[in-house]
Amino acid sequence: MSDHVHVIDQDRFEAEVLRSHEPVLLDFFSTECPPCEALAPKYEAVAGQFAGRARFFKIFRQGNRELAAKLGVTGSPTVLLFKDGREVGGRLSGDIKRSELRQAVEALVA
Amino acid sequence: MSERFDLIVVGAGPAGLAAAIYGARARLKTLVLDEGVPGGQVKTTHKVSNYPGFPEDIKGSELAAAFARQAERFGATIARSVEITAADLGGLAAPEKRFVLDDEREVVAPAAIIATGARPRPLGVEGEARFRGAGISYCATCDGAYFEGKDIHVVGGGNSAVEESLFLTQFARSVTIVHQFAEFQAEASIAEEALRHPKIRVLWRHEPRGFHGETSLAVMRVEDLAAHAVHDLPTDGVFVFVGMAPQADLVKGLVPLNAWGYVETGEDMSTPVPGLYVAGDLRAKRFRQITTAVADGTIAALAAQKYLRDRYPSRP
Ligand SMILES: Cc1cc2nc3c(=O)[nH]c(=O)nc-3n(C[C@H](O)[C@H](O)[C@H](O)COP(=O)(O)OP(=O)(O)OC[C@H]3O[C@@H](n4cnc5c(N)ncnc54)[C@H](O)[C@@H]3O)c2cc1C
Repeated sequence: MSDHVHVIDQDRFEAEVLRSHEPVLLDFFSTECPPCEALAPKYEAVAGQFAGRARFFKIFRQGNRELAAKLGVTGSPTVLLFKDGREVGGRLSGDIKRSELRQAVEALVA
Repeated sequence: MSERFDLIVVGAGPAGLAAAIYGARARLKTLVLDEGVPGGQVKTTHKVSNYPGFPEDIKGSELAAAFARQAERFGATIARSVEITAADLGGLAAPEKRFVLDDEREVVAPAAIIATGARPRPLGVEGEARFRGAGISYCATCDGAYFEGKDIHVVGGGNSAVEESLFLTQFARSVTIVHQFAEFQAEASIAEEALRHPKIRVLWRHEPRGFHGETSLAVMRVEDLAAHAVHDLPTDGVFVFVGMAPQADLVKGLVPLNAWGYVETGEDMSTPVPGLYVAGDLRAKRFRQITTAVADGTIAALAAQKYLRDRYPSRP
């Protein structure tokens, strides 16, 4: 993993995501999921661009079913956006473009 | 500074990767661009049974990876997860093809093959966009495991819908196929398997009309086409396989499209733009399969090779 993207488990959700001072992105990913593989380098690149302004996390869905169910996530990849302890904005899912992700983060940190 | 290639292929599906194998073996400096990982539609197909050379079924993801490895073995470069943020495919006077990638890298070649294929077509009904990833999916291999023990629906009745329904039975408690016609369009062998399957039910002559729920999908509204009545079906999830939409954005306005948005090409995959070829599912043609896509890719690469030889005789 890189300097800018961190993998967490659901037991850290509250501390890392909900109590974060900066806006947060959370990407639910799975194995055997080509669109998840496709997103990984884009997520990295955008995380690098917004270093210090937003925090980027990934969470492995298979190991964190309860949180996925609680948040109503039923597909991978799904990127959720959080600010001040609450989910904001539309979720991104499926084939996600780098420009689309960047625009979503721009709006999130604005 | 732009990087120069002999041949740029857009789309690393079966058509693009077959073209890359032929291009690279002809010693053309070949670059393949894809916005995702290689394999196109094949990488998310759980099993392929009709591609010659594999007497046992092969997983789509394995076949996709094998196509890519073969192209790379001969020296083709595959650029994964890149977004084409600007493109100039040239015209009669200036035949160079130029692509800007992620606003930061420029690549150029005298010939290009566009093999951007097709992607799942949405149903276009109320609530669909809202519940995408929150109960609605277009990829069974990606999302099937989310529905362990659940009661789900599949919309469609062609090969993809029926094949993927069979795959989904390994996770779901029940799979109800919602199909607009009174029989499947799928191949007889898989249609029969689905009809015999204890977990699969079919709602013939029904069509989705809307999706509803709080945070995630809870209800699919369907119309019974025979009775002209609307019902609400409780559901844990819906997989949509109602055909594909061609990805012609790059070539729109440059090449002729048919009424459904597919590109009309010559028999050698050529277009009216010199050095520009179109191959695979993006083409106007009768049958869209892996075999027909790799055939198109082969022909496009051989035609491009001949074009480059004729136009630039000093090249190797
Ligand atoms: C669920 C399902 C099951 C199937 N099962 C079978 C089967 O069993 N047997 C069979 O023969 N066929 C099957 N098919 C059909 C077969 O997969 C297609 O005919 C074949 O993949 C078409 O190949 P292609 O290379 O033309 O396009 P695609 O496979 O669609 O590949 C196009 C590629 O281009 C990329 N791309 C698109 N736009 C851009 C862009 N702007 N920039 C960069 N890259 C781009 C995409 O990411 C993709 O990788 C199935 C299809 C589906 C959906």
